[in-house]
Amino acid sequence: MLDICNIYKDFGSLKVLKGVSAHVEKGEVISLIGVSGSGKSTLLRCMNLLETPTFGEVWMEGKLLTQPDPYLHPEIIRASKTFEKLKAAGLADEDAIQKIKKEDLLHEKHGAEGKEYVRLMKEFYAANHLDANLARQKMGMVFQQFNLFNNLSVKDNITLAPVKIGTAKLKQALREGQKTTETKESIKAAAEKKAMELLTRIGLADKADSFPASLSGGQKQRIAIIRALAMEPDVMLFDEPTSALDPEMVGEVLDLIKELAKSGMTMVVVTHEMGFAREVSDRVLFVDEGYIKEEGTPEEIFRNPKDARLKDFLSKVL
Amino acid sequence: METFISNIIRIMSHYGHVFLLEGVAYTLLLSLIAVAGGSVLGALFAFGKRGKIAPLRILINALVEIVRGTPLLLQLYAGVFILPRLIPALNELPDIVSVSVVLIINSAAYVSEVIRSGIQAVDIGQTEAARSLGLSERTTMWNVVLPQAVKNILPALGNEFITVIKETSLASTFYVGDLMTSYLKVRGNTFLTLECLTIVGILYFILTFTLSKLLAAAERRMKHA
Repeated sequence: MLDICNIYKDFGSLKVLKGVSAHVEKGEVISLIGVSGSGKSTLLRCMNLLETPTFGEVWMEGKLLTQPDPYLHPEIIRASKTFEKLKAAGLADEDAIQKIKKEDLLHEKHGAEGKEYVRLMKEFYAANHLDANLARQKMGMVFQQFNLFNNLSVKDNITLAPVKIGTAKLKQALREGQKTTETKESIKAAAEKKAMELLTRIGLADKADSFPASLSGGQKQRIAIIRALAMEPDVMLFDEPTSALDPEMVGEVLDLIKELAKSGMTMVVVTHEMGFAREVSDRVLFVDEGYIKEEGTPEEIFRNPKDARLKDFLSKVL
Repeated sequence: METFISNIIRIMSHYGHVFLLEGVAYTLLLSLIAVAGGSVLGALFAFGKRGKIAPLRILINALVEIVRGTPLLLQLYAGVFILPRLIPALNELPDIVSVSVVLIINSAAYVSEVIRSGIQAVDIGQTEAARSLGLSERTTMWNVVLPQAVKNILPALGNEFITVIKETSLASTFYVGDLMTSYLKVRGNTFLTLECLTIVGILYFILTFTLSKLLAAAERRMKHA
């Protein structure tokens, strides 16, 4: 479903992620745990490209969401001028590639590595790329600060994306001369019906016409969750969904997320709620100092941690 | 004191139309042109500054900094006297047009900053949430960010209007018929400086005070919306 390949992320001179790879299976629930500033939120935000990785690739269902990273493709490195030079200097094929990877020798500047290299990069991109906006339509995200649209009613918060994206697709289809029974009105009606169903499911149907400012934190977060669900995503990303909530509201939000996990939704959750991580996760990743230091089942991570920093972390939070 | 007040009354009865029909009308017209034109141009500036074309960004930033860093009076001199020397075709334009154009550009520079900061004041989380749903940059801007930015922008735009009303007084340097020009005219006929200044001062105050009260009322209503 999701493949994270050797992600690096720098913010200026601050290196937040230093080579992270991870794989998310369909239907899997993965928790990211770690201290504040360890890079777990950045890793999550790299998955739907809210942050653009400095190096590395993100793949969703066989489609490339980022720019291609030449360091991950030996055949592209082989086409580079740098590689030619090293070979001419007498290095063996494998050694030259290793040296280039290790010392970050490829020129970033367009064209400096020769025409063949540029052609291969473009070809790889064209063959595999998926537009970030299309990818995000299938990747729901829930934020720590809820981020409901303050200028829209609850119902409009939920229907905005389905209606805008639905009508854009309809226009596209009509332009291409496809026959369709859909109309702008039918898309809107369907989105509203769906919104009301979702609101009913979480018991907030009576808030459909309220504005976010009049809701409690727990209500806001539950609506943020169904707003993402209204796009019928294949995977849901949660960025510390309960950290900004008053303690008495944490339960209602966690219950909804648990229900979602049970329904088979693929999920990646950044969380400080260890009990929750233990209960719902199929796998737990411990992110520390920009690396994934340890990963395993909740049992392995919480009962039998091996990494010293993980032991230390758990002793503080459990 | 009695003669002062009776002088004012006499001036108003003889020259009231000069102050009100010419002065106030022209001042309001100039301000309206400056703010309306400035808002449109300022919005274009603001979007240009956020845009992807680097040369345009640099050009707009330079213009905004120059306008904000030099006195309006100097800019008016440039528009009315200096530019026509460089570009002779501009000599054909009446002064009121040159003055209006300078006021528009001046106002645009300030308005572009108002719009930019208004957009920037909208929580970045709103943009992130919209983009995470797969909405395009444009849809995010029009449906989520701008409607919220307007609440920050409109009050500041009103203040800009008030500022411009007062600044148009500098246009009187070129005798274009604004409130301050009508002061120069009436003083020239009556030789009563203090009385004429008092009248003009009161009129300016009535204009700006009414406007600021109207704005405050509009702002209160917007808070509830």
